[in-house]
Formats: sequence, structure tokens, C-alpha cells
Amino acid sequence: MELQAVLMAAGGGSRMMDLTYNTPKPLLPVGNKPLIWYPLNLLERVGFEEVIVITTKEVQKMISTDPKVKLDVKMKLDLVCIQEDADMGTADALRHIQQKVKTDVLVVSCDLITDAALHEVVDLFRAHNATLSMLMSKAHEFTETVPGQKGKKKTGEQRDFVGVDGTGKRLLFMANEADLDEGVVIRKSIMRKHPRMHIKTGLVDAHLYCLKKSVVDFLADNKSISSIRGELVPYLVRKQFSKSTNSPKVIDETHQNLKKNDSNVNLEIQISSRDEELLHLTQERSCWNDHRGDMSDAYHGGRLRCYVHIMDEGICYRVNTLAAYIEANRLAPKLFDEPAVHPSAVVSERCLIGADSIIGASCQISDKTSIKRSTIGVSTTVREKVKVTNSIIMHGVTIEEGCNIQGSVICSNAVIGRGADIKYCLVGSAQRIEPDALPFETLLRPPCLRSTLTPTSTHRSTHTQCLFKQLNRNNTCLC
Amino acid sequence: ANRGGKQKKGNVTSEQEEEEQPLQAVLVADSFNRRFFPISKDQPRALLPLGNVAMIDYTLEFLTSTGVQETFVFCCWMSNKIKDHLLKSKWCRPTSPNVVHIITSDLYRSLGDVLRDVDAKNLVRNDFILVYGDVVSNIDVSQALQEHRHRRKVDKNISVMTMVFKESSPGHKSRCEEDDVIVAMDSKSKRVLHYQKTQGLKKLQFPMNIFQHGSDEFEIRHDLLDCHISICSPQVAELFTDNFDYQTRNDFVRGILVNEEILGNQIHLYVTQDGYGARVSNLQMYDSVSSDMVRRWVYPLTPEANFTDQQGQGCTHSRHNVYRGAEVSLGHGSQMEENVLIGRDTSIGANCHISNSVIGNNCTIGDNVVLDRAHMWNNVHISSNVEIHQSVVCDGAVVKEAVRLNKQCVLAYNVVIGPNLSLPEGTVVSMHHPEEEEEDDDDEFLSDDQEVGHTFNPAEVGPEGKGYIWKASMNDTEDEELAQCLWGRPLSKQNVCKVVSFQLEVLGTLQRGLEENIVCDNLVLEINSLKYAYNITLKEVMQILTRVVLEYPFQQQGTQLTTLQYTGSLLPLLKTWSPVFKNYIKRAQDHLDCLSAVEELFLEQDTHQTAMVKVLMKMYQLEILEEEAILKWFSTGATNDKSRQLRKNQGLQKFIQWLKEAEDESSEEGE
Repeated sequence: MELQAVLMAAGGGSRMMDLTYNTPKPLLPVGNKPLIWYPLNLLERVGFEEVIVITTKEVQKMISTDPKVKLDVKMKLDLVCIQEDADMGTADALRHIQQKVKTDVLVVSCDLITDAALHEVVDLFRAHNATLSMLMSKAHEFTETVPGQKGKKKTGEQRDFVGVDGTGKRLLFMANEADLDEGVVIRKSIMRKHPRMHIKTGLVDAHLYCLKKSVVDFLADNKSISSIRGELVPYLVRKQFSKSTNSPKVIDETHQNLKKNDSNVNLEIQISSRDEELLHLTQERSCWNDHRGDMSDAYHGGRLRCYVHIMDEGICYRVNTLAAYIEANRLAPKLFDEPAVHPSAVVSERCLIGADSIIGASCQISDKTSIKRSTIGVSTTVREKVKVTNSIIMHGVTIEEGCNIQGSVICSNAVIGRGADIKYCLVGSAQRIEPDALPFETLLRPPCLRSTLTPTSTHRSTHTQCLFKQLNRNNTCLC
Repeated sequence: ANRGGKQKKGNVTSEQEEEEQPLQAVLVADSFNRRFFPISKDQPRALLPLGNVAMIDYTLEFLTSTGVQETFVFCCWMSNKIKDHLLKSKWCRPTSPNVVHIITSDLYRSLGDVLRDVDAKNLVRNDFILVYGDVVSNIDVSQALQEHRHRRKVDKNISVMTMVFKESSPGHKSRCEEDDVIVAMDSKSKRVLHYQKTQGLKKLQFPMNIFQHGSDEFEIRHDLLDCHISICSPQVAELFTDNFDYQTRNDFVRGILVNEEILGNQIHLYVTQDGYGARVSNLQMYDSVSSDMVRRWVYPLTPEANFTDQQGQGCTHSRHNVYRGAEVSLGHGSQMEENVLIGRDTSIGANCHISNSVIGNNCTIGDNVVLDRAHMWNNVHISSNVEIHQSVVCDGAVVKEAVRLNKQCVLAYNVVIGPNLSLPEGTVVSMHHPEEEEEDDDDEFLSDDQEVGHTFNPAEVGPEGKGYIWKASMNDTEDEELAQCLWGRPLSKQNVCKVVSFQLEVLGTLQRGLEENIVCDNLVLEINSLKYAYNITLKEVMQILTRVVLEYPFQQQGTQLTTLQYTGSLLPLLKTWSPVFKNYIKRAQDHLDCLSAVEELFLEQDTHQTAMVKVLMKMYQLEILEEEAILKWFSTGATNDKSRQLRKNQGLQKFIQWLKEAEDESSEEGE
């Protein structure tokens, strides 16, 4: 076995609390499949037979009991639970399963939806005997209107600066704008080795990493690192050029220091592997080199190397915000070939269903209904004369006659009363919308219905808006 | 292009004008520095021979072949010689496609002066090419020129300059550290965002504002060789006039980039992959450009092409890049291995070994001579059994029997060396005495003066030698530095030295204070005077002071101290010197600076981190540091992983805890 797959599925989805209030993030339906299915499917497609899934007890329970959550994968899932309240980061989680890690690992996040060719990342890892290789993609603009969000885009977001070499593969620099008070600082020695550095912003990190086993061991020794993306990756990128990792002598010295002084925090990564000597010999004997221009050895004698594969085209989304969730739902049908309408759904012949919509299992769709560019979840009932456009309807929702739903997200088990008119709203799970309750046509920007009590700024702003529009009389706005 | 009829008409006429107007160039035949002293005391740099052709001829040939029809040559230093040379050359013949105007003035002191004069005289009417008289290039800039014009049309004259670079990786021999630049550019628009010389820098800093131009892809390039060819708009000359403090192109580029938002001017770059372009800015570059020339990298400007079209300059090219002029005689058993250029009427004795060298006209070379990477100009006389490695021998020099020139030697005009002498590496010998007045330009007069004033030192130049070691100047440190970097070695890192020597001085002061029991007030006085002498900021003083004190035990007793020994010897010292500290640490910021200096030191001395708590404790007890400052430092000062790690030290955390509790108590008491 060359690589062990590890799936990180314990995140709470803190950036989309409205959705994850009742459903844990890994089980959010995207195109009528739980979110976690997408990375699992990705791994299965490339031939993994076993995957370690790090998740919470809640998710584990739901996977094993809830019939609606059908994972539909043949791989052997090794579920490892971690405590929810322990506030563990991804690196903590990796440290948690260190005993299970026997070889190099491929770490995937559960919110990744991509059609990337995974072998590109792994090939970089193999070809360069890399310590880390990761996947990134050009950021996509979200086109859909997002319920509850004012304005088109949050401006002033902090950008990530990613520096790659001339080939666009070797990862040389990584920092967030927030940490760059003094501007981008790069050592001249790095520029001498890699004279042409492309600095890219506007990339999305797919949170997919190939890591050497030694990195996992390093994590076990170095408990202060808690997040892979936030701490480990920047650390490894920096370490590529530090002197101590590159000259074996110094490593020995630091290790002696370590033995003397256990509280010493300056732990070094042991990069050598079993075949190190042989590899070294091959490198010495071959005339292959990774760079041109000067006469120094391949990789300039460096032993720690980080690579990145940047996707130019294709789908790569991380479903960690509401906007991304909506976008992913829109794109999900394109990712797999399954009939848009589930065979077990009961669909009246006198209704209109657009080709870009998905109807889940055991749905009931009545006459004179039109559904366009929408996803209808499992066991949802849609009655007569309903119009659904650009919306996501989760499981077990009941939509009564004559409703008009546009650009909204309706969470599980909600009931939409007769004749309701909902535009650009988010309806929390198990909420009831009263019949004829919402004369929403007059509203220009009515992102109002919310079920959860999250003290976010968007919440507050919508709340004031609700008060202003005096919608509280219906007692439906639960701001 | 669909604008009003009037404008359209205007556009058409201007386009026609553009096409009709000849391409102009400004050639600056002066370097405005003394890098080639003492050689350039006798001959301006632009006239120094490279591959037996004056450098300015290469520049003019490059300009002509790229389509320039009118060139203004600006001369200052020894302008008469340049003028004579040009008047005799093919450029001033009536058939020349490139009309050369020579403009001389003794008042030019910099490139800025030249361009201000260009503006004042209203010489250029359109985009022009700006080069120095020592640029050797075969780049076809018409592509760059097209891009430049296109940009100016599209963006309404925003782009004022396009700099031409050649791609060559660091470590390439045509790059010298002195001219290394780092360029940050926008990948799509090829706009220069940041331009900096990197000599002496360890870290390269790019301000954030350059990344805020809406583009999401930038490039930082260190693989560019500055060819010192720039395509300028007429605005460039005006901008130099407006900003009378711009002296060099560097000033200009930096000024434009910094004031980009105010003036709205931009600079772009053009990168060529296959052309050749380099400026001979020092002898190291001279060496590499000359060897590139012989190795035919500057094709079609090759030695046998005789592009200057002068009689008798022609030579033949045979394999291994061996070029021979007319009437060259080669003695029995002599070998010209490879990359050798020999001028006309030169005779070489028997059993010589010549490789990678250029030999001028009318030279005589004796028997058993070894020449490797030697650059010999005209009328040089070399006796037998001489060995020369990577050196320059100027016109009229005489090297006597059994002399050895080691690497990077320079024999300036008419010097005589030997016999039986070995010149150490980097020796520069000149007929000019280093102390001679700079204003004395007249050769004849000088040589008279020398014979009266100074005598040659036979230990330096040999028993029959004539000349002075140039770098052995007694009083003029500037000259010494220049002589040393004649070959392009890096200048001394002045700023770093400043701090280091200040640190040593402070250490010395404290040491003496301890030995002689000097009162702290006097120590403060002394450090203050040092501060002014070395021009050090107050912040640096404090950081250095902290560092010196904390390192004092290591300094005295070696670095193998255990933590216990270290604290044992340090704590009494802190007590002794606490008045000194108190004198410098007053404001809140001072406290934080001091703390960060402490932190920095203990990050370096990571085996002694446990001692840090004790030091902080002592400093707190001595009332050097306030608790608020310590708490603030602890909570906010962490900037990287290591310092975060440091803060997790148990002892330190206990100390902080204790401080917090103490604070609570005292505030309770206060209530």
C-alpha cells in the first residue's frame, strides 16, 4: 500500500451555521447525496479500498442509523471518532490516528467537491519524493444570489499569497495577507535558487494533501501544531529553505540537543526514509536535474520539498459557506450520471421539470407544478401549482399548494404553507411557514427567514430589516 | 478608434508623423563613476577596446542595426577623444544610415544632467532609445518598441519607459552581483511594480501596495540581467527636468514607481530570451563580455566581421574560435588552444600556450609564455617566461622576463613590470600615483610631476618596473574601495558593519566600566557619544545594549555555560547596570523593544530558555521593566511559531500568572 487515505469529517461548518444547526456538515445534502459522499467517491474512483474517516460521534451515529444517509460506497470505512468539544484541529486529528498510519497519507477534507485528477497530485509527490504535495484551484466567482447576504461580495477579504516556481509546481512561499504587515519578505537565497517566482492570489486551497509518514511522526512529537492548513503547511514551506534541514550535520546536532533537553521546542523533521541512501545514490549518478541555469545539484541539495498542483479548469469547490453550498448544488448534477428523477419518485405527468433539476427518492410532485434549476430532497411532497426555481429543498419538506419559491434554501422537514411566496430566503429545518403568510413580492431584498439563532452580523442586519418591514406579525421570522 | 472626426484626423496625422519620424537614440558616452579608474584616467570607458574594437562602436552598431536613424552622443569625460574617434569612424561618413550628433559639455555630472539637457534642447520628438556607451548587444528591440508604442496608444501615454532585460539565471557568468536586480512585475501587463538592486541585501522586501492592483498573478524575477537599454517616451526627459534630484536611471525608476499613484506613470519591461545584451560596468563584466564576444554569442557582431569597416582590422576565423589578424606570426611549438583573438602585426614567440585570450595589435610576445583569460590591448610587450591569468594589460605596457600576473591584475597604460616578479591577486598598477590630484588630467604634465614627486617601488613593480600600486592609497579610503571593486567584488556592507562595530564598542565600554568601576552615569555618556558617532537610532541602542548585556557571560566565559552558571553570572551584572537600562528604557515602546530584544536573544540561545524567566524577573524587580509592558509583550508580541513556543515555557507562564495575580492584588489594595 502506497498511500493511506484519511478523510477529515469532524468540522462543524462554522461558516454556515444556518445549515449545520441540525445537520452536521458531512451529511448536508448536495445533489441529494451527503456531502461526505463526494470525497469518498473521489477516493473510490482512484482505487482506494480503505479509508480512515475522522468524525464525530453524532455523524457516526447518523451514518449507521439514519436510512436517509446512504453512503453508497464499497470502500471499507474505518470510522474514528473524536470528541466534539475538544476543539481539535486537523493536525490534532492526524496526531490522534498516528498509530494507524503505516505509510504516507493522503488527507482529504469532507467538504471537497472536485473532478480533479487526483493522480496529478500524487505524481508530484512520487516524482519529487516530496514531503508535501497539495491541490489548489483557481477561485470561482459565485454567481448565485445568496439568501441573507447583503451586497454581492464581501470585500476586504484577506487573500492568500502563494508563491510557486517557474514550472508552477514547486511551492516556495505561502502567507496570508493578514500576516504580511511588512510586505512580502523573501530571502535572497531562495530567489537565487528559484529565480522566477510566481506569486498568485485568488487560489482556493482544496485541503487535499499528500504527506510523508515522517510528517505525521513529526506531528506526534510536536504538539503545538494543531491545524494542517494554518500551521503545518506554512511551517513545511518555510522549512524547505532553512539551513538546518538541508545539511545533515546540523540535524544530528539538533537531535543531540533534543536528547539532552526534552522540553526543547525546536523539533526538527526527520525526513530521511528507508530508501534515502539509494535515492541519494541515484540522484548522484544521474544527470537529471530539476532546474536549469546553475551547476548545483538537483533540488540544490534540499531534502524537504513541497509541491502544489494548481487546477486550471474543472470543478473544485469547498463547501464551507452558504454561497459555496448553493453553487455546489447547482453543479452537482454535472458530476455524476444518474437519472435526474429518482425511479421511486411519484411525479405527475402534468408538471414541468427542468433538465437541470434533481428529484430525490420517494418524492411526490403534484399537477401543474414547475421545477427549474432546483434540487428536491428525499421524501419531499410538493402539491399543486407550486413553482420552484433556483432553490434547494432538502429532505422531508412539504410544500403546500400555490407556493412560489425562488432562490431559496429550505432545510429538512420544513412545512411551507399554502400560497406562500418565498424569494431568496433560508428556511431552517422543521420550521412552519403559515399559509398565505408572506406577501413577499413587494420586498426588493427580503432575506429574512431564519430559523437559527446565530449571533452573526448578517443576522443582525436582516433582523433590523425584518423589523423595518414589519414582518414579525406573522411570527415567522425567528430572528 | 471611433472618436470624433476632428480627433480622428489628428490621430491619423500623428500616426503618419510617427511613421515618418526617424527613430532616435540617446547614447551616454560617460559612466559618471570611477569604476574603471585608473584605466579610465587615460582613456574614457567608451573607447576601451573589447575584442580589439572600442566599446562605443558596439553600441552604435547595435543602435543602427535596430533601426535607429539619429543618435545623440553625449560626452563629458575626455570628450575630445571620443569626438576624434567618432569623426574618424564610419558613423560620420556621409553614407552612414545613422546620423550621429556629438554633444559635449563638461557640466554633465550624471545621466540626469544629460536628459535635462535633452529636454532643454528639445532634441527628441518621439520615443527614443536610451543606452550607455558601454553596452554590447545584439537584441532586436523593434519588438519591444512596438509593444511600447502599442501600450502608449492604448493607455494614453501612461507608460513612460520600457526596460529591456535579458533572461539569465543567477550564477550565469554575465551577471555580476553588483548589478543584480530583483523585479516584481504584473504577469499579464508586464508592468514593473518593484525594482531593486539586491547587492548586500539578505532579505527582499516587497511592500503590500504593489500587490493591490487588481491582478491576481504577480511575478518576482531574479533571473533578469539588466541590459541598460531602455525605450523612453519624450516625457522621460521632461520628468528628469521636473525632478531635478533624479541623477540616475535608478532614481528615476524608483521615483516613478513610488509616485505611481500621484503621477500615474508606469514602467514596463521587455524580456528577451535569445538576444545578448550586457553593460560593461566593471572589469568582471568586461572579462565575461569579452569572452562571450570571442565565443560568438553576440553574433552577428563577431571579431572577424569587421563591422567598424576599418582597414586592416579584418581577421580570419578558424576552428576552436581562433581569430588571427593580418601579419600575425606564431613561433615554433606555440599553441592557440581555443577562444583566442590576435590582432594584426602581433608576433608570438616559441612554445607559448594561449587560451581564452584577446591580444591587440602590434604586440610582441616572447617565448614560453602562458596566457589564460588575458586581455591585452595594443602595443603590449611581453618578454619570455611570463604567465598571465585573468588580467588586463593596457596599451603600451611592458612585462619583463619571468613575471607572473595572478588573477584579476590590471596593468594600466605604459606600466613596466619585472623582471622576476609575481604580482599577487587583484593588483592594480598604474602610472598615476594614487595621491595625485584628481584635477590634473594632463598626461604629459603628470608624468613629469611623478618623476619629481614620487619614485617607483622596486618591491612592488620589480627592479626595472615603472608604475605605482593603485590600491595602496594612503589617505583616500574611497579610492581604495574603488580599486578593490574594480573587478566587481561587492562593496563592504556598511550598514551591517556600523551596527556590529557599535555593538563591539558598547561591549568594550561595559567591560571597561566593570574593570575600572566607572559610574553608570558616565557609561551612559559614553554610550550616547558612541550613538552619535555611529549614527544609531535610540531603538537600536537599546536592542544592542540588551543584547550585549545578556551575552556578556557567554562573551566572558565561553558558550558552554550551563543555564545555572549563566544566570548566576548574569543577574549581578543586571543589577550593576540597571541605571544604564533605566536611562534608555522610558516610554512604553522602549519596554516592548527591550523585551523583544530579550526574546530574540533567547530564541537564538534556545538551550538557555529557562533562564529567560529569571532574567525577566530580575529586570522586573530592578524596575527596569514594568509589569504592564511584560504582560502586553506576553499577550501580543508573538509573531511566529517560535516565539509562540517560547511563550509556552512553563516557568514563563508561571511568572506571568504571578504577575497577573500581583496586579490584581495591588489593584485591590488600591481600591
